[in-house]
Amino acid sequence: MSHSRDQRSGPEDPVHDTPVGEAEPEGSGDPYAKPERPVADGPAVRVSGLTVAAPDGRILLQDSSLTLSPGRLTALTGPSGAGKTTLLRAVTGLLPPGTTRTAGRVDVLGHDVFALPERELRALRGKRLAYVGQDPGSGLNPRMRVRTLIGELAVDRRPEAVRALLAEVRLPDDGSLAARRPGALSGGQQRRVALARALARRPEVLLLDEPTAGLHPELRDEIGELLGHLAREHHLAVAFSCHDPEVVERYADEVVTLGTHLPPPRTHSHTRPARPRKEHRGGPPVLQVRDLHVAFGGVPALDGVDLTVAAGSAAGIVGVSGSGKTTLVRTVVGLQRASSGTVHLAGTPLRTGLRGRGREQRRAVQLVPQNPLGALNPSRTVGATLGRPLRLHRRCAAGEVRERVVDLLEQVGLPPAFADRYPYELSGGQRQRVAIARALAADPEVLICDEVTSALDADTGAAVMDLLTGLRERRGTALVLISHDLRLVADRTDTVTVLESGRVVESGRTAEVFTAPRHPTTRALLGTAEPADLA
Amino acid sequence: MTADTRGATPRTATAVRILPALLLIGLALVGPWIAPHPIDTPVTAPYAAGTGEALLGGDQLGRDVLSRLLAGGRDLVLASLLVAVLVTGTAAVLGAVGAVRPLVGRLVERIADVLMLLPSVLAILLVTLSWPGGGRFAVIAAAVVLGVPYAVRLTAGAAAPVAQAGYVEAAAAGGERLWYLVVREILPNLRATVLTLFGLRFVAAVYLVATAGFLQVGPQPPAADWALMIRENSAGILLNPWAVVAPGAAVALLALSVNLAASALAPQTGRKAVPVQ
Repeated sequence: MSHSRDQRSGPEDPVHDTPVGEAEPEGSGDPYAKPERPVADGPAVRVSGLTVAAPDGRILLQDSSLTLSPGRLTALTGPSGAGKTTLLRAVTGLLPPGTTRTAGRVDVLGHDVFALPERELRALRGKRLAYVGQDPGSGLNPRMRVRTLIGELAVDRRPEAVRALLAEVRLPDDGSLAARRPGALSGGQQRRVALARALARRPEVLLLDEPTAGLHPELRDEIGELLGHLAREHHLAVAFSCHDPEVVERYADEVVTLGTHLPPPRTHSHTRPARPRKEHRGGPPVLQVRDLHVAFGGVPALDGVDLTVAAGSAAGIVGVSGSGKTTLVRTVVGLQRASSGTVHLAGTPLRTGLRGRGREQRRAVQLVPQNPLGALNPSRTVGATLGRPLRLHRRCAAGEVRERVVDLLEQVGLPPAFADRYPYELSGGQRQRVAIARALAADPEVLICDEVTSALDADTGAAVMDLLTGLRERRGTALVLISHDLRLVADRTDTVTVLESGRVVESGRTAEVFTAPRHPTTRALLGTAEPADLA
Repeated sequence: MTADTRGATPRTATAVRILPALLLIGLALVGPWIAPHPIDTPVTAPYAAGTGEALLGGDQLGRDVLSRLLAGGRDLVLASLLVAVLVTGTAAVLGAVGAVRPLVGRLVERIADVLMLLPSVLAILLVTLSWPGGGRFAVIAAAVVLGVPYAVRLTAGAAAPVAQAGYVEAAAAGGERLWYLVVREILPNLRATVLTLFGLRFVAAVYLVATAGFLQVGPQPPAADWALMIRENSAGILLNPWAVVAPGAAVALLALSVNLAASALAPQTGRKAVPVQ
């Protein structure tokens, strides 16, 4: 699907020979600059000491500051969940639903947006401030044509002005583009139409959330150059969030990094970092399971289980076979219905069972199942299996899928040629690694590994665990590890939960639980020297 | 059987097993144009034995049996193929959907149970009586309605373990919609079952369409039709046995050869589903 779009977008993306700064649209020299705009001398936006809290008291943004000046391109970086989007939205005066500002102020073009009356705030947002969200395609009315979309809010609605705007965002009208609807545009084109729509208002402040996410490098560079051009040539204050260090380094004039000084969460003590030297481990709880009950035909399998996993931390689940470890994680990912209890992902309650969950929620929690043999579709190649989540969740541009698949294979220690193999041509350990790569392809917030190293040799197992640890530190992915290998749990996790017959008998920091076990079950588990005997 | 031989041999073996069905179906399709005599004009005496002029002799009116044989297969083959494709396709999708959505599965099975109680001949008569102008289409509709309940029980049974497999769960947990699960995850792994089922349903369809023809539901005299030929000429079977044996043998060969082809196409090795649990 996205492939054909890509082809369609091909011919009408011209190669620009001229340097960006000189690429002036034909006709009126500047299609959207406000001629009467006063020359701004101070910053356009000043955010100081802003703290935003989620409904459950979790801090989304702590004491953040941001200054945007006209003519400057400011990049917001930081790990997922660091509050980049929240900060950008705060500048528009519209915080994500349910969240509240507990401290700080936001001044935009001389107005305190949180003190401004609704009507004036709307005027400010409508005329002087433009925000382009993370998924601009979903923000475009699918029933409207491009020319209507751009003209709707435009100061100048003449067809020539619309054409000039399209040329400005490197989408020259070939005669049919302006008549198309968003469904007939590629993702990159949708992004640029959304940008043109934002520019049509002739704003003074332009905010973009991940404008380069999911774009191939060429388009990414084009957008980066375009933003720089807009800031410099048209004296806009531009802020964009980005997780691509290359883009940030190449195009941003200023960089604001968020999320490195997040305070420890106000939750159970066992979510606290066991090793505080690692920065990510003190993140807010990304996964919270409360009082979970699951029964199979009346026989309870889980009886009031609690589990909290902080962002960027690793949680271990141990217990003898049949203690409910797998049932617990299957319930978390929605493959098993719970009879009662709640599962929260980053503060949002998840439905038990898959059918009430959105695609994004399903993407955010990935499970690498225990049984590597049945985990891969026997009639599809490894490449097709790994490519599917990339396409489904738009983790990369259609043209890059093949590259990314090879990249994923390499990460789990498999040669690129494996992309053309069928599962029956792989060993159990190799299938296990493909299953891990498939989970990684979805770019999850929480990665649950059910005995992933059990089918791997010691070296490969260690390499896979290093990969997962690296991912946790780089991306802030929370890790849940089920293992019989207690040495692995001791080495690789911050917190541990001990299950027995569907109940949590002990939980806390791994180091504390393993050095001073309080419950007989834990002692019995630890008393066994060889992990293999525990099964 | 040819599981571990590699290279051209298994492919040749498959081709050899598909060939009879292709030849027979091809002959039935082009038959009306290569028939040596018109199908509705007497060329010899009624029930005359085979001669150089009419190789398989004459039928009840002295018309050429060979010409009528060549001309009389096309409708039967097309109708049977259509019925088999519709029945197998519907059943495969319903079975797979039922395996993913247990509630739908139970509903489908209960409906199938009820429909299965209906005797096929009675159903054909019912459909054609209530839809007198329906002709072939009435027969096809009846055959589909009668065939799906049997087929869906089979596909539901085969899809159930596949739907429980780790890869289907992984796809569902990964955000795939029902349609993708059915079409891309489950059905490709039911290829062997579905192809075998297709062969079986084709035989059943030939049987049913021929029965309808024999009951004079569908094609009417003087049309050439294998089933109609058997019925019309059965009185003279001792005078010119070919007038009955030839169309009978054609029906049997068609059913056999299509079954052979279907089982040759079913995957024998490699990409079959790994055993679950």
